[in-house]
Amino acid sequence: MDFDLNEDQQAVLESVERLLAQHAGPARAVALNRAGDYDHDLHAALEAAGFNQIARDLARDDTLAGLEAALTVEAIARSGGVVAAAAQMLVAPALCERTIEGPVAICTVGELTQPTPVRFAAHARSLLVLDDGDAYLVSPAPGTFEPVRTSFGYPMGRLSEGASVEPDREGQALGAGAADTLRNWWRLGLAVEAVGTMDAALGHTVEYLRQRRQFGRTIGSFQAVQHRLSLCAIEVEASRWLTREAAFHNAQPEAVAAAAAYALQAADTLFTETHQLSGAIGFTCEFDLHVWSMRLLALRQELGGVGAARRALVEARWGAA
Amino acid sequence: MEFNWSPEDIEHRREIREFLDEELPDNWEEISQHGPGGDSQAAFSRQFCGRMAEKGWLTQHWPGEYGGRDCEPWRHSIVGEEMWAIGEPRGSQYMNVNWIGPAIMHYGTQAQKQLHLPKISAGDVLWCQGFSEPEAGSDLAALRTRAERIGDNYVINGSKIWTSYCNHADYIFLLVRTDPSSSRQQGISVLLVPMDTPGIEVREIPSVVGERYFHEVFFTDVTVPASVLLGEENNGWGVVNYALQFERIGAARYARAAVTLDRLAEVAAERGMLDDPIVVDRLGEARALCEAARVLVYKVIDLRAKDQPPTADTQLARVLSTTCDNAIGRLALEIFGPESREYASYADNNFRLAMTAGVAVGATEVQLNLIAARFLKLPRE
Repeated sequence: MDFDLNEDQQAVLESVERLLAQHAGPARAVALNRAGDYDHDLHAALEAAGFNQIARDLARDDTLAGLEAALTVEAIARSGGVVAAAAQMLVAPALCERTIEGPVAICTVGELTQPTPVRFAAHARSLLVLDDGDAYLVSPAPGTFEPVRTSFGYPMGRLSEGASVEPDREGQALGAGAADTLRNWWRLGLAVEAVGTMDAALGHTVEYLRQRRQFGRTIGSFQAVQHRLSLCAIEVEASRWLTREAAFHNAQPEAVAAAAAYALQAADTLFTETHQLSGAIGFTCEFDLHVWSMRLLALRQELGGVGAARRALVEARWGAA
Repeated sequence: MEFNWSPEDIEHRREIREFLDEELPDNWEEISQHGPGGDSQAAFSRQFCGRMAEKGWLTQHWPGEYGGRDCEPWRHSIVGEEMWAIGEPRGSQYMNVNWIGPAIMHYGTQAQKQLHLPKISAGDVLWCQGFSEPEAGSDLAALRTRAERIGDNYVINGSKIWTSYCNHADYIFLLVRTDPSSSRQQGISVLLVPMDTPGIEVREIPSVVGERYFHEVFFTDVTVPASVLLGEENNGWGVVNYALQFERIGAARYARAAVTLDRLAEVAAERGMLDDPIVVDRLGEARALCEAARVLVYKVIDLRAKDQPPTADTQLARVLSTTCDNAIGRLALEIFGPESREYASYADNNFRLAMTAGVAVGATEVQLNLIAARFLKLPRE
């Protein structure tokens, strides 16, 4: 057991944070979100620096470097990066033997049969589809998905009327067991993104409450406010360490279900509390909280959210649900 | 960063489980129904800790010079998890090995070390902690119990409250005010007082938690030699802070909660309750909470294993660990339903032993204050 980053992990994190300082950040996220755009520049920069393949490149003895990839995705989420980092860096390497073309989006087959907005689908070159006991890879032609306006902080797309998606003709390696693999790594990705996003939302709120004065004192000095923030901090830290542990164990089903069950519940708490404590300014576009807070609610909607994660946890732990 | 147990640690956990299988009698559940402070468990702990000492496991995390084996805190945490999970057969002696012994090692005189450490590591001495007072609960620094230096003695007058384990204890780790003109954290000292000293009276405070759980301890002109002073006079606050960094996560509450929860899931399955999606949801939520508490406690053990000073991580872990204990205690009542109405039923025992978690060793609100100040760096004003 060791909760400190080793030298290699430290180097990975510093390097991605340097890149993000240059290519990402809340202002950029706001501009991209307004246009419903994907951050192709950030995606390309991550690709060029080797981060998109990090899980495979740092693999040892054929074991994916899930933790290093998760640390990278967590940092990208913290920066508000508008890229499909979890799908690209965590899910795709676990599922596909060859490198698939990004951006990568993920959805359930239900989101195609009853078309609903799917994160990153309008920009995706590869789409991973979970169909109950099966999983398949699709390379959607341009126009297959139409952009959808959303309140929830990520570019989204919906299957266009009359369009359909078929399993990739190359049918790459999404055979037996692929559905479970997809489910577990997707769930891990959601937890990791939630952690980075909650971290930033709480940090932004705490910073504001250290400055903002009302009733002749800083709001952050009121005990009623402090206790709520302290409880939020506990939620974020517990989510962070559960998730990192699950990533280290490469999305082992019980570990990842626990991490997602906890982190996605925490995401609801963090959304509610950061907005409540930030007051009216928290709802405005000039205050960056929304860059992270709105995303938390989108993350909670994927793969059955908290309820499905808890069911998966009960099944993994006790063999029944 | 990595999250694997070493093969040696995995083997040690197996050994401990095997040992528990052999040592715990068939009526262990009955013996342990009133918790570590109960009469039967206290008596059992002397025999059990003696057996652990023979194995060399009781104080294996202590330095070799004090009879330990210099094992990493991780090794000792495995013992803590396995013991607490099964209802703590070490009784109150978990405190001895977790923090009373280490505090004596750190601050004790040679004579104090020679007197106390061999007894603790042999597993045949019971301690209690004399901290809270009627007017000093969460606000511990308000304590008033007075120890007056007269010649070579201290004369103690005052009272302690909520004291657990004191009805069986051989010694009390006692916080007193030695400087009458002082206030708050200054002027406090720690005395290691034999409980059979004349002038000490213990009265049980009946409570809904269980029998022999809370007590008041009255000190009337209790005279002890000045050699019972631990550390410097009037510097007891430093001693207590040192000691408590070990105590706040000393009891592996999440481990007991996790074992209880496994039993609840088994019962729910047997009774066909898993067809109810609400029950499944509650079980999943509870399991995630146990895991969250565990991983935050591990973060603190990691700091300790690296000999780093304690941080607010201790408070984060403490709050979640007590939340978890409480939540699973209440869930037991729901899963067992009407059966839990009977005193000393499985669910009732678990619930009662968990219900004090958020108040003992510094209420949750005090921990939240510390998180706000130290972890979030929020202003005090």
